[in-house]
Amino acid sequence: MNSYLTAMNKLIKIDYRKYGHSRSFWVLSALYVALVLIVFMVIESFLNHVMTNVGKGSSVTIPGFSLYSFPHVWHNMAYLAGFFKIFLALIVIIFVTNEFGYKTIRQNVMSGMSRGEFLMSKVLFVFIIALAVTIVLFLSALFLGLTHTDHLTAAMIFPKMFFVPAYFLEVFSFLLLAMLFAFLLQKQGLAIGIFALYYYVIEPVISYKIPAGVARFLPVKLITHLIDVPNSSLMKLFGVNFRETVSWTDVGGCLVYSALFVLIVYLYLKNRDL
Amino acid sequence: MAKVCIIVVDNGFFVIIVIYFYLFRPINIKKTILQNEILEIRDVSKSYGRLKALDSLSLTVERGSVFGILGPNGSGKTTTLGILLDIIKPDRGNYFWFGKKPDATIRKRIGALLEQPLFYPYLTAVQNLKIIADIRGVRYEEIDEVLDMVRLSDRKWYKCNSFSFGMKQRLAIAAAMLGKPEVLILDEPTNGLDPKGIADIRNLIVKVAKMGFTIILASHLLDEVEKVCTHVLVLEKGKKRYAGPVNEALGNSFIIEVAAPDLLSLQSALKQIPQVKTITRQNTMFVLNVHDDLTPDLLNRKLSDQGIYLTHLAVRNKSLEKYFLELLSDGHE
Repeated sequence: MNSYLTAMNKLIKIDYRKYGHSRSFWVLSALYVALVLIVFMVIESFLNHVMTNVGKGSSVTIPGFSLYSFPHVWHNMAYLAGFFKIFLALIVIIFVTNEFGYKTIRQNVMSGMSRGEFLMSKVLFVFIIALAVTIVLFLSALFLGLTHTDHLTAAMIFPKMFFVPAYFLEVFSFLLLAMLFAFLLQKQGLAIGIFALYYYVIEPVISYKIPAGVARFLPVKLITHLIDVPNSSLMKLFGVNFRETVSWTDVGGCLVYSALFVLIVYLYLKNRDL
Repeated sequence: MAKVCIIVVDNGFFVIIVIYFYLFRPINIKKTILQNEILEIRDVSKSYGRLKALDSLSLTVERGSVFGILGPNGSGKTTTLGILLDIIKPDRGNYFWFGKKPDATIRKRIGALLEQPLFYPYLTAVQNLKIIADIRGVRYEEIDEVLDMVRLSDRKWYKCNSFSFGMKQRLAIAAAMLGKPEVLILDEPTNGLDPKGIADIRNLIVKVAKMGFTIILASHLLDEVEKVCTHVLVLEKGKKRYAGPVNEALGNSFIIEVAAPDLLSLQSALKQIPQVKTITRQNTMFVLNVHDDLTPDLLNRKLSDQGIYLTHLAVRNKSLEKYFLELLSDGHE
């Protein structure tokens, strides 16, 4: 066990040496964090503004609502942050395809890294990105909750906090899918293009064509389904009720997909010329 | 009863002999042979579509040798080295490093430069070498040593994308030397270097070889291979044309260069010497292919007897280039 940890530690260190000094990596990361934080901060007033405008002529008064109060803030922010995971996928694709573009994967393997270790270093890279953005989510949601909840009690904080680890799983398995595209296509532009095409066009089209019961298990759909749309008082008004829990089927599905993506890359890489 | 006894005794004796031979099998001798063999390639083939890049190549490389791989462009030199480094997967055949099946750990004992230098352009020379040091489990202190060896110490804090090709090539050689590997694989190491760089790399190869390291060097520059290699493999279209010691390939044939103030009379005098096989004019001198018994002093005496005094007399080994071209042209006849 200990030797596994040392090996993993070594791989993380190597990838930190590769990307830690890359300006574009930090610029992209900072951009992501800034984007998420700005959206988190303005979303409530923005939505309330839209809703009051929409409800101006209506006979029913639409109540103002708070996205930031505990415990719903966890769900709301996790759902919202989910929209930006495509940006993170871009970072993963850029840095994985760079290894092929610069042919540094060759140099790594020549120097004594096995192909499995190389793949593992990228899985750890994805893991750490997912962990980092989860921490960003956790801290910002915690801050918003603490500053916006009326009659705050400690007991209000903890329910629904499970959306934070769910968000981690969502990002992690989604980024592994992006990594799969990067490894299989290798050319940067191609990988980004095909991945975006798959995300926005191919999978939605497929899911229209096949029965809903099956479509639910398509990778992007399943991963996105992990965190459902949060209910607001507005939605309750219309009688729409979304899931406020995370289903174990989705969790299991994400884990199976994650393992599958890594396995596919491993088998692909194992017997290939680099 | 007696017959049965004899059979039992016979069989028993046979078993004893078998056990005796099993116990005292010549295992020690075999072990030393294996240790001397750094690399063994068995029947390795690789095709790209219809193109046979490598056709059942078998080869052994011994410890301490400087092994040159020669061949025209596209003859399979880089493919061979790529396979040995697990970059390219062969279709057929296998190879053994240090008598073992190859894996990633074994590659840490091999330093390599393949085809072109490969670095992260946005990192400095030192940062790039640190990544390789981490992979190989080498102390960072060695980075300065190898950078010194290739004269890049003054550029070590510069990013690799500011390097010229020659500097990248030198950095790649430094990377290959990191961790003092037992075997050094160099694919066209003097590509893109200036004359000083070429001389430096040659000296480095000779120095490293003297330290007992094994070097495998692919090149199309024959004179480079000739100057540093002890053994040579000649490839043509993926096939082995020759493998063995360089001096065996060249034999003891040599050529003599002569020059005199009056070239015309020199030429006519040379024509009268029976041991001179061919005379080729090269600028202001003649290059002679001669029989083994015509030593330079004998030639000199014979010419001075005729009143011709030489301004230049030199004995040269037949060059590898000549041998190489002969070998390859044989294949087309």
